[in-house]
Amino acid sequence: MSKQALNLEETVVENRLISFWRLLTGHRLLYLTAVIALGLAALAQTGIFYLLRYFVDTVLPSETLAVQLPWVALGFVGLALLQGGFTFTSGRLAAYAAEQIALEVRNYLYDHIQRLSFTYHDNQQTGELLQRATSDVEALRKLFAEQGVGIGRIVLMFAVNFVAIVAINGRLALYSIVIIPIVLIIAVYFFKKVGEVFDAFQEQEAVLSNRLQEHLTGIRVVKAFARQEYELERFEDDNYEKFRRGRRLSKMHAIFWPSTDVLTGLQMIAGFYIGAQMAIEGTITVGAFLAYAGFLGQIIWPIRNLGRLIADISTGDVAFTRIKQIMRETREPLAEQGTVVPGPDGLRGEVVFRHVDFAYDADTPVLHDIDFAVRPGQVVALLGGTGSGKTSLVGLLPRFYDYTGGSITLDGVELREYRRQELRQQIGIVMQEPFLFSGTVRDNIAYGAGRVVTQEEIVAAAKAAAVHDVIMSFPKGYDTVVGERGVTLSGGQKQRVTLARTLLINPRILILDDATSSVDTETEAEIRSALLTLMQNRTTFVIAHRIQTVMTADLILVLENGRIVQRGTHDDLVDKPGIYQQIYDLQARIEEELEEDLAAVDGYQNGYAMVGSR
Amino acid sequence: MVKKMSDHYYEEEEFTESFNGRTILRIFRHGWNHWPLMLGFIVGIGMVSLMESYMTYLTKRIIDEGIIPGDMTAVWSISLQYMLLFVLFAVFVYLFIMSAGTLGHRVQYDLRKQMFAHMQKLSLSYYDRTTTGWLMSRTMSDPTRVGDLVSWGFLDIMWAVMSIISAVGFMLWINWRLALVTLVVIPLLAVAAMQFEKHILREYRLVRKLNSMITSSYSEMINGVRVIKSLRREERNLGQFGELAGDMYQASYRAAWLSALFLPVVQLISAVGVTAVVWFSGREFQNGAVTIGGLQAFVSYITFMMWPIQELARVYATMQQAIASGERIFSLLDTKPTIVNAPGASDPGSLRGDILFDNITFQYEEGKPVLTDFTLEIKQGETVAIVGPTGAGKSTLVNLLCRFYEPSAGTVRFGGRDYRTMTLHSIHSRIGMVLQTPHLFSGTVLENLRYGRLDATDEEVVAAARLAGAHEFIIDLDEGYETQVGEGGVLLSVGQKQLISLARAVLAKPDVFIMDEATSSVDTLTEALIQQGMETLMDGRTSFVIAHRLSTIKNADRILVIENGGVSEMGTHAELIRQRGHYYNLYTKQFREEKAEAYGLELAPANGNDTNLSLAV
Ligand SMILES: Nc1ncnc2c1ncn2[C@@H]1O[C@H](COP(=O)(O)OP(=O)(O)OP(=O)(O)O)[C@@H](O)[C@H]1O
Ligand SMILES: Nc1ncnc2c1ncn2[C@@H]1O[C@H](COP(=O)(O)OP(=O)(O)OP(=O)(O)O)[C@@H](O)[C@H]1O
Ligand SMILES: [Mg+2]
Ligand SMILES: [Mg+2]
Repeated sequence: MSKQALNLEETVVENRLISFWRLLTGHRLLYLTAVIALGLAALAQTGIFYLLRYFVDTVLPSETLAVQLPWVALGFVGLALLQGGFTFTSGRLAAYAAEQIALEVRNYLYDHIQRLSFTYHDNQQTGELLQRATSDVEALRKLFAEQGVGIGRIVLMFAVNFVAIVAINGRLALYSIVIIPIVLIIAVYFFKKVGEVFDAFQEQEAVLSNRLQEHLTGIRVVKAFARQEYELERFEDDNYEKFRRGRRLSKMHAIFWPSTDVLTGLQMIAGFYIGAQMAIEGTITVGAFLAYAGFLGQIIWPIRNLGRLIADISTGDVAFTRIKQIMRETREPLAEQGTVVPGPDGLRGEVVFRHVDFAYDADTPVLHDIDFAVRPGQVVALLGGTGSGKTSLVGLLPRFYDYTGGSITLDGVELREYRRQELRQQIGIVMQEPFLFSGTVRDNIAYGAGRVVTQEEIVAAAKAAAVHDVIMSFPKGYDTVVGERGVTLSGGQKQRVTLARTLLINPRILILDDATSSVDTETEAEIRSALLTLMQNRTTFVIAHRIQTVMTADLILVLENGRIVQRGTHDDLVDKPGIYQQIYDLQARIEEELEEDLAAVDGYQNGYAMVGSR
Repeated sequence: MVKKMSDHYYEEEEFTESFNGRTILRIFRHGWNHWPLMLGFIVGIGMVSLMESYMTYLTKRIIDEGIIPGDMTAVWSISLQYMLLFVLFAVFVYLFIMSAGTLGHRVQYDLRKQMFAHMQKLSLSYYDRTTTGWLMSRTMSDPTRVGDLVSWGFLDIMWAVMSIISAVGFMLWINWRLALVTLVVIPLLAVAAMQFEKHILREYRLVRKLNSMITSSYSEMINGVRVIKSLRREERNLGQFGELAGDMYQASYRAAWLSALFLPVVQLISAVGVTAVVWFSGREFQNGAVTIGGLQAFVSYITFMMWPIQELARVYATMQQAIASGERIFSLLDTKPTIVNAPGASDPGSLRGDILFDNITFQYEEGKPVLTDFTLEIKQGETVAIVGPTGAGKSTLVNLLCRFYEPSAGTVRFGGRDYRTMTLHSIHSRIGMVLQTPHLFSGTVLENLRYGRLDATDEEVVAAARLAGAHEFIIDLDEGYETQVGEGGVLLSVGQKQLISLARAVLAKPDVFIMDEATSSVDTLTEALIQQGMETLMDGRTSFVIAHRLSTIKNADRILVIENGGVSEMGTHAELIRQRGHYYNLYTKQFREEKAEAYGLELAPANGNDTNLSLAV
């Protein structure tokens, strides 16, 4: 049906004409036809005017009126049919080409944006991307649907009428178009000016779009702090600025239009004057002058509109430039050539970090000298303070970001040699902040599978994430629709659905980034025991803050300020003074207190002794 | 294959009435609010069209008075008049472009402002159902169409109508029988317009609807791009988006070519009119009912009329588009917020005092009650911890307290007073709530903190950050308090975001303080550090703490266990342990398991739960 993912990369060149021409790939013939058809329609209309004049001047007073009348009438209908036919052809073809281009650009942008790097998205505002993908694409579409085709009308009308004037008198013809260079110069000047002003306008629209987008995603915060007034003020500022810039844009047009009007008007008067002089001097006949007066109006119109067209094209040009800025960003290569693909059995899951350094931006290193090795199937726990770099560390494995120093090997091969696509297929990550898409619970769980999944598989994953019973308690079960970002689920429900989503893809390496932080202790225990089975034969990275979640790990890494400060198993670490011991003591103290509390409770002895005595 | 996700939920509302005159009227009224501008372009365009016809007359004079008698001075003087006229003409062109352009942008500005203001009043339940993309396209792109119609559209209509009326007037004056012949085309035009209207409007409604779906799709993709990448959804997303974009293509192409068909049809019909005149004029001329000069004028008026008629046809099509947009805008503006200030609601001045959940029943959706007959009294200054399994309704409870949602039965009383008699603002501004999902706005750390209290001094901000344990990491950041946090706070770690949102609420110095899992992603050492500060903060302030960690809740004055829509247990930590109910189980079971694990003991399988599955497929 639709041509998807057309590579628009090559359209991105500096020269705007070439860019537009390339954008027309595949529709060039159609578009040219549309351009010419509109010109022919304009000619047909001119024909109607001339036929009318001919009718009044010649046919009406003549003797043979009755004979000629049907022919003239037929001529009118014929010309009108031609005009209508050409108008329609042009409209339809131009619409086709413009909509096709819009379709291609939309698809391409969508794909392109989702393939840009994490770093790009970290620093980009959603509202602005949205504005460019919608409003700027719309302006580009308009350029092809409305402005581009106008060229045909202008050129053909100009050519025909110019030739007609040349036929009357060559010199007169030249005098009639002396204004063109001036109009062109002014048009080019305004092309720049209008472009600048329109750019500023679109820029402000992007600002407004950002403001709105952020406001909407943070609506709960706005309400929680009753900041509606404040938000209104801020929106008002941006909105008013947009109005101001819009007014400035109108002003540009309001200056440009009359200025070309005056110029072309002067040209017309000059034409009349010179023509009149020639007629009076006898260089041309009075009849010729009358004809010339008619043609002159028809030649001024295209000249005047050429200027407007040029100024209008600048808006499409600005819009396209803004789109090109996104297109120009390099995609995150998912399937580079000549890089390693994990074997058919997948990865074994041996991970070795050697002196790895990492920074999001060059001057603030986040990880220093990370050095550890994991054998296949082991469980690594990461523990550490807020902002110590745990999430950053695990984010290196699926190559969300690339490490800046040292080496990471996976099954003995440098991580950078792997193709991201297959790598990510083998690595399942439950992110710290659960994100769901609007849709049903079922769709969300199946979201990452990349194949048709059965209800049984979905249920199995949901059960492992201890969310099956909850889902079944909803009136619509797995068909329950979750709102945008999953707003209609509770925090813990969301988190468990994302867990189920990751478990379903059956990854070789499993990363759980604080995946049970919003889940109550009972449910967490349930999940943990389910995961125990699932983690067998899978290399697993667990980030958590609670000792009991990490204590069974084969390797515990304690991070502080981006460095590994302690490593070992629970038994190694619990007796060594250090962060781990501090955390342990803190939690143990609470437990001791609980133990005391329990001791105070009748009958407790039995319960605890039973376990303790084994 | 998974169905198109966007299909499921936000069923875009359908507008079915075929032609909504009220929508146009309403659009017009938005323009009329700035009647001087409207007047400006009416005068401007009126003068311009007058001058245009006068210019034709001047041309005639050049010929009659200059060329034919061979009088160069006459040519010169008329040309001079012509030039002066052009200068005047330019002034009026400036006037109408400036007023129409300004009006268009002004109406957009007004509509956006109104919509944004209205969005402030809409309740959270509305936002649960409505996507960001929907609201974005409503606020960003629809007003553009309406603004264009109010300015350029009305301008063109005005011009066309004025031209047509004057032409028809002259024609009637010259020869009314001939004029009536041409008027035959009017019903034809009306019928054609009505036929087209139905189809074009339908297509444009579809286009606007798809436009907002596409915006939603982009918006959701950009927001969820990290998940998409980690799950390698790119191909399939593109496939789904491609379908949507394909539908958009189909609909707008159809709309475009339908409009493109309308124009030639109008051209043909008007040519029929011309032909009719030509046909009948022969007879009229021979009867002597019209002079050749009259006929010439007649004919030139007809040709002159063809432009405005075509222009009307063009505007007519874009008007359909603007109507479709207007309908969507007004549907947003007409949405009644479910929670509003009751008549006579007032600001109580303070929320201090006992809080009573008075027999509350609440559900988000019919048939799925979250709380039933829930009653609870909280003393002023008490710290209440809320625990319970996930999805039990803890967040719901505090949402009700904040009046983000209203109970379907019962009410909440602050100091004995029904909170429905208070203004929403007075409640929201006195409750400090740390939300379960931390959200920051792009800007600096300082700006985000200050969101809690806009007039806080730097010292107060730092003090709040210290209290919330955020100060240490903030000063370690590149630019300290001036560090940019990125959209939604992406440039920070999740724990850091939580600490900042905690500090933000602390800064607000609320009467009632609510922490909904405010420190769930914060490490235990930091949390222990904060604990102290929080206790001073909560001292004397009614506070609600929702948490799963024992360490966070055990010092509360009272702990509530919420389960199955009500409070199942209540008491201090020690009391609840003694009760040996759910709470006891919740924490001792976990505790026993930990001990068991620590000593390497086997666990009895979790009862009745089939967790022994393999996901390998
Ligand atoms: N906006 C909403 N629309 C519809 N249903 C909702 C909405 N918010 C929550 N629910 C449902 O209401 C129930 C209670 O949710 P709530 O968020 O109050 O749970 P919670 O106790 O806070 O859980 P958690 O500990 O996981 O955060 C859940 O079943 C949830 O799916
Ligand atoms: N996308 C990013 N761009 C720039 N800096 C970042 C980004 N994400 C995190 N940081 C910074 O990197 C440091 C480490 O963050 P990281 O998210 O790895 O911490 P963490 O250990 O996971 O903390 P938490 O327990 O709070 O989740 C923090 O100082 C944070 O501000
Ligand atoms: Mg983290
Ligand atoms: Mg909750």
